[in-house]
Amino acid sequence: MIAIVDCNSFYCSCERLFQPRLLHHPVVVLSNNDGCVIARSDEAKKLGIAMGVPFFEVRSLIYQHDIAVFSSNYNLYGDLSWRVMEVLRQFAGQDQVEVYSVDEAFIDFSQIDPEQIERTARELRVRVEQWTGIPVSVGVAPTKTLAKLANRLAKKDKLNSGCVQILQTESQRIRALQQTRLEDVWGIGRAYARKLNARGYTSAWDLANLPDAWVHREMGGVVGLRLVRELRGEPCIELKEELVQKQMIATTRMFGVPVTELKDIREAVASYATRATEKLRRQFSAADTVQVFLICKQTEEDGGWRGAVSSAYTKLSVATGDTLLIIQAAVCLAEQLYRRGLVYKKAGVVLSGIVPADACQGDLFAETPTDHRKLMDMIDNINFSQRDELLVFGACGTKRHWQMKQEQRSKRYTTRWEELPRVGDPGFNHSA
Amino acid sequence: MDRDHYTKATYRGTKDFTQQQVKTANATGFGAAADDYSERGIDLNEQLIRNKPATYFFRMKGDAMREAGIFDGDVLIVDRSIKLSNGKVIVAILNGELLVRRYHQNFSSAFLIPENNRYKPINLSEFSDFSLWGVVTYVIHSLS
Repeated sequence: MIAIVDCNSFYCSCERLFQPRLLHHPVVVLSNNDGCVIARSDEAKKLGIAMGVPFFEVRSLIYQHDIAVFSSNYNLYGDLSWRVMEVLRQFAGQDQVEVYSVDEAFIDFSQIDPEQIERTARELRVRVEQWTGIPVSVGVAPTKTLAKLANRLAKKDKLNSGCVQILQTESQRIRALQQTRLEDVWGIGRAYARKLNARGYTSAWDLANLPDAWVHREMGGVVGLRLVRELRGEPCIELKEELVQKQMIATTRMFGVPVTELKDIREAVASYATRATEKLRRQFSAADTVQVFLICKQTEEDGGWRGAVSSAYTKLSVATGDTLLIIQAAVCLAEQLYRRGLVYKKAGVVLSGIVPADACQGDLFAETPTDHRKLMDMIDNINFSQRDELLVFGACGTKRHWQMKQEQRSKRYTTRWEELPRVGDPGFNHSA
Repeated sequence: MDRDHYTKATYRGTKDFTQQQVKTANATGFGAAADDYSERGIDLNEQLIRNKPATYFFRMKGDAMREAGIFDGDVLIVDRSIKLSNGKVIVAILNGELLVRRYHQNFSSAFLIPENNRYKPINLSEFSDFSLWGVVTYVIHSLS
């Protein structure tokens, strides 16, 4: 059996932890730059706030119902995510846990006595909430895909499930499949859902009963077949199997304000290049292709959903993880792309051609650029241990008025001494 | 699953060190006699943080807990994994606000007791909306 532990409205729960008056109050969290809603508490969902909806579209709804709004506070979410995962690792053992995303993890339950599975799952749920303050739901089933499905059902009816759903018997499995629409199955994209719906299939149960040959032909071969078998209760996706090194690393951001000056574009692109290269080094890789794109603010003529995009890439002679070299290449591309008179709203840096850092192939004929690997290690070390961005590259600028807006961000309660949550008597104020 | 494994204290510090880190070791691998007694320096985290993922820091606001040695501006170390029991200093959630008080319970009712006679004890039976945020385990107070 395999369990998946998934935090309930994770970002909203993080915000509530230090503001308990919001506990039963609707809460939403906005994306980078306060553009869209990316997390909603159950109360906010009930009020009709859709996932991913632009903030301005629901602004009146938000004021009308006094919904609490937060900008994303990734320092806080990152720390709480670590805590949740750490509690799971202590509970089940390091090797039994696969962190799947910031707010969900699979746990190998194969060593647990079948009689004890439900009790263990409930204990685990209580433990995580008590220790970290983050409420979670647990789904347990014979396969990863079914565990996801169980988790979804647990969340849908928290009152009855107690946030735990076990699919242990055949009848439990069948019932769960019948209760789930096929587009809600993990791994079924919108295209497949439409295709299947058009043929009259609607539930996960229909999906599980499709003949193998048809699935193989119509649903992407082995991948589709694995998915359907998982629904039937045959494990096909192993723990940790899907963890692969990323083949492409991108950092793209919306600007806080529309940008027209080349100087600002250069600084922004240099900052994104820095960030992307940091991610690259964190997975011990190097990249040889740097791509930069700029997106304009949309105008009347565009008519479409976004403004004009311009992009360019360059191939370096050797793959590198050196921020200085990547910045150089990225800024150069940005200068080529930039057109005076245009208004930009977004830029991005994408690194590809990724290879392990210690297997970089040199170019016999090119002069090898000096790799500042030692320097990079030092910078990563300092920035990591002393909080991010203590050391920055001059090209990234110091004022950064293009930086994204985060007007409603809460305190970084768990990662900064000067932002600790204050506790005590509200009326008291005879010192700072 | 090994039960002890997950109930014991989690912060283990860094007890391991290699020969390279022993400053007086020479190329032969033999060091000064004192090396036999060398050990890692004291690490405050080990003493103050028993359960790292469950430990949070707060900043005290107000003088309601003065007599317990908690002053305005002090840092509170709060462990969420400790069970609520009589006499513990806790961070309480009362009507949606966070509050530091001593928890006291007798056979019929429970109270949040301040440690400063300018404040009144709060009888919890009058309030339905009480819950525990965490138990305060240490206070860091600056003398300057």
